[in-house]
Amino acid sequence: MLSGLPTVLVNAALISALYALIAIGFTMIFGVGGVLNLAHGALLMAGAYAYLLLARDTISVPVFESMTLHPLIAFPIAVVTVAVLSYLLYVVIVQFVEDNPIVTFLATIVVALAATEVVIHYAGASTQTYTLIPSDLLPSTVGFGPVDGILTVDVVGFVVSWIAIGLLWLYVTKTDSGRAIRATSMTERGARLTGVNVHAVRARTWLVAGALAGIGGVFLGASSSATPGMWLQPLSLAFIIVVIGGIGSIKGSIVAAYLIGFLQTGVGEYLGQNFRGILSLVLLIAVLFMLPQGLFGREYHE
Amino acid sequence: MARNNDQTTGERHTDEQNADGNTTGSGYVRRRHFLQTAGAAAVTSTLAGCIPGGGDGGDNLEGPIRIGHLAPLQNPLGIGSRRTATMAVDQLSENGGIMDEEVEVVHADTGGNPGTAQTEAERLVAEEEVDVIVGTFVSEVTQAIMDYVAQEGVPLIVTGSSAPSTVTDFIGQDYERYKNFFRTGPINSTFQAEAMVDYVNHLNELHGWSSFAVVADDAAWVEPHLNVLPGALEEEGYDLVMEQSLNINIDDFSPVINDVVESDADAMIRFFAHINAAPLLVERAQRELTFGIEGIHVTGMHPAFAQLTEGAATYETTSQSGGGGTTGITENTVPFVESYRERYADSDPPVGHPMYMGFNTYDAINVYAEAVERGGTWDYGNDLDGIVDAMLATDHTGVAGQIQLYGPDAEYPHDAVETRDDEGTISNFPITQWQPQGALECVYPEQHATAEHMVPRW
Repeated sequence: MLSGLPTVLVNAALISALYALIAIGFTMIFGVGGVLNLAHGALLMAGAYAYLLLARDTISVPVFESMTLHPLIAFPIAVVTVAVLSYLLYVVIVQFVEDNPIVTFLATIVVALAATEVVIHYAGASTQTYTLIPSDLLPSTVGFGPVDGILTVDVVGFVVSWIAIGLLWLYVTKTDSGRAIRATSMTERGARLTGVNVHAVRARTWLVAGALAGIGGVFLGASSSATPGMWLQPLSLAFIIVVIGGIGSIKGSIVAAYLIGFLQTGVGEYLGQNFRGILSLVLLIAVLFMLPQGLFGREYHE
Repeated sequence: MARNNDQTTGERHTDEQNADGNTTGSGYVRRRHFLQTAGAAAVTSTLAGCIPGGGDGGDNLEGPIRIGHLAPLQNPLGIGSRRTATMAVDQLSENGGIMDEEVEVVHADTGGNPGTAQTEAERLVAEEEVDVIVGTFVSEVTQAIMDYVAQEGVPLIVTGSSAPSTVTDFIGQDYERYKNFFRTGPINSTFQAEAMVDYVNHLNELHGWSSFAVVADDAAWVEPHLNVLPGALEEEGYDLVMEQSLNINIDDFSPVINDVVESDADAMIRFFAHINAAPLLVERAQRELTFGIEGIHVTGMHPAFAQLTEGAATYETTSQSGGGGTTGITENTVPFVESYRERYADSDPPVGHPMYMGFNTYDAINVYAEAVERGGTWDYGNDLDGIVDAMLATDHTGVAGQIQLYGPDAEYPHDAVETRDDEGTISNFPITQWQPQGALECVYPEQHATAEHMVPRW
C-alpha cells in the first residue's frame, strides 16, 4: 500500500491548496468583524454557479442570458461577481446586525439557505460539471515524477491558490489599505485611534474574502461538481480549519488547511474512505481542549 | 394549493418566536428564552402527531379518493415521480375516476430526510385524509414511516426504495401488523444483485471482462449487493479485485479511482443511489481511463446527465426501472414516455423522461386503482383485508414491467415479483448506457436492447 505514498502526498497537497482558499476568506471576516459568516459556503457555491452561467449554456436566469464565454474570461468575471455579492451581503444585511452574534448567525445561515433555494429554482437540483481548463490550452492530465494522471485543473488550482495567498500577503503587509485590515483584526480600538475607518475596513474585508471565496468556489466546482447543497461541507471544513489554525489568523488557516488536507487524504488512503472526516473532528476536539486559541491564536489581541 | 396553508402557518409561528426571542434582554436570557420557545415548539409539534381524530381512517365511503405521493420533491428523481403521479391521476380522472369517484393527488416532500418524512406522512394521513400513500425513495426514509403507517393501516405502496430489509424486517416479521405495505417496483436489491451477475456474464461474453471492482454507498439498500454479489462473482470464476463501501458524503474520488486503476479491474461495478459520482466520471474522462463503469448510479439516470457533465458520463451504465424509456419493456412503456415528454416539454428541467421512480410511481397508482375496482373498496379503516386481497391479485401490464406481488407466505411478502425469461434470467432490470453524443441506449437484457454495450474509448 505504501507504494502509493507519492500519489497520496501529491493529492493531499493539491486538495489542501483548495481548502486554504476555502478557509482564508472565512477567517478574515471573523478576524476583522468578529462575524461568523455562515453564508461563506454559499459564496463558494455562487462562484461555481456564476462560472456555469458564464461558461456553459445549461442554465439561464431572467435578464441575463446564459452564454458560453471562454474560461479565461468567465473565470475573472465569476470571481468579481462573488466579491461584489460578498460586499453586498455585508452592506445590505450584515452591517446592521453584526453587533449581535446570534442575529448575525441566523441572518447568514438564512442567506445560505435562501441561496440554495435560488439555485434550485434557476438551475435545478441536478449535478452540473464544467471544464475550467480548455483542452486546447493544456492537456487534461499531467504526470509528476512517479505520479501519473494528476488532473491539470487541480494543479492549476494549487498554483492559483498560492498566487492568491501571495497577493493577499502583499496586500495586508505592504499596502496601507491592507495593513488597516490587519490592524483592525488585531485591535479594533487601536485601529480607530490611529485613524482607521473601521467600517470601511470591514466592507473591504468582505470584498477581498468574497474574491477568495469566488476563486475557491470555481475550483471547487471544477474539481468536483456544482450542486445546490455543495456549500455545506466546505463550510464545515472552513470552520474546522479556522478553529484549528486559530480564529482570525490567516497564517494559521493556511497551515491548518494543509494539516487537514494531508490528514484526510492519508486517512482515506490508509484507513479507508469512511474515516476521512472523522479524524479531522477528533483533531478539532483535541485542539479545542489543548489549544483553545488554535495553533496560531490571534496575531495580537488586546 | 390550499394544502400548503398549514405549512406556511407553521413557519410563521416559528418566526414570531424567533423575533420575540431576539428582543428580550441580555444574551443569556435571550438564549434561554430562545431555547425554551424552540423546545416548546418542538414538543407541540411532536404532540400534534398524537392527537387523535384528525384522520377518520377512510371509513366514510365517499369520494374523492385521495392519493398521497411522498418523495424528495426537489430532487430530479422526485420531480419526475411527482409528474408521473399527476399524469396517472389525470388519466384516471379522464377515464371516469376510480369506482366512479373522483381521484385527487396530494404531494408531500420528504426532503430525503426520515424526520420530515414522518411529519409529512402524518400530515397526509391525519390532515389530508389520503386513502393510500405512494412513493418514498431512500430506504431509511421508508423504514422511518413504516410503524406509523402500519398503525394507521393506510396502504403504502413503495416505488423508490429497494432494500429487502424494508420487507423482511417489517411485513416479513409480523405480517398482520404490516400487511398494508406493498412494493410494486423496483425489484428488491437481492434480485438486483442476481440480475447483475447475469449482466456481468453478458459483459464477459461480449468483451472478455473477468476482473471486477465492487464499490458501493454505505447505506441499507446496497447490503445485498455487497453480501451477494462478490461471492456470486467469484463463484462464476471472476476475479473480485476490490471491494469498498464509501461514505455517502465523499467529495474526493481520486483515491478510489487510483485504487481501481491499481487493481487493474476490467470494470468497476458501483452502486450509488446517494453518492453523486459526477466528479468521478469527470476525472475518469479527463484521465481517459478505459475501465467500464457498470452497476447502478441514480444521479446518472437524469435525462440530461450526459449533457450536464459535458459528456464525462459517456460509457457509464446504470440499471433503471423503465430503462429510461429507451425501449419497450412492455407495450405501454414507449407511449407513456412519449406522452410524458410531450406533456412536460416546456416545464422546468429535467425534461425528457422520468427517472426510475417515476415509472414505478405511475404503475403503483394504476395498480392501486385496479385493486380498488377489483375489490370494490378503498376503505382501509374497515376493510383493509379486502384491499390487501385485491392488491395481491394484481397482474398489471405497467410501464416498467409486468407487475405481480408476492403473497403472504413468500420470502418477500407483498414485494414486486421479478420477471424472468425462459432461461430464468431476470428481465425487468434493464441496463442503459450513455453512448457518444449523449445518446441513451438500452444495452441489456438482450430482448430489450437498442444497442450493444460499448467499451470506453477516449
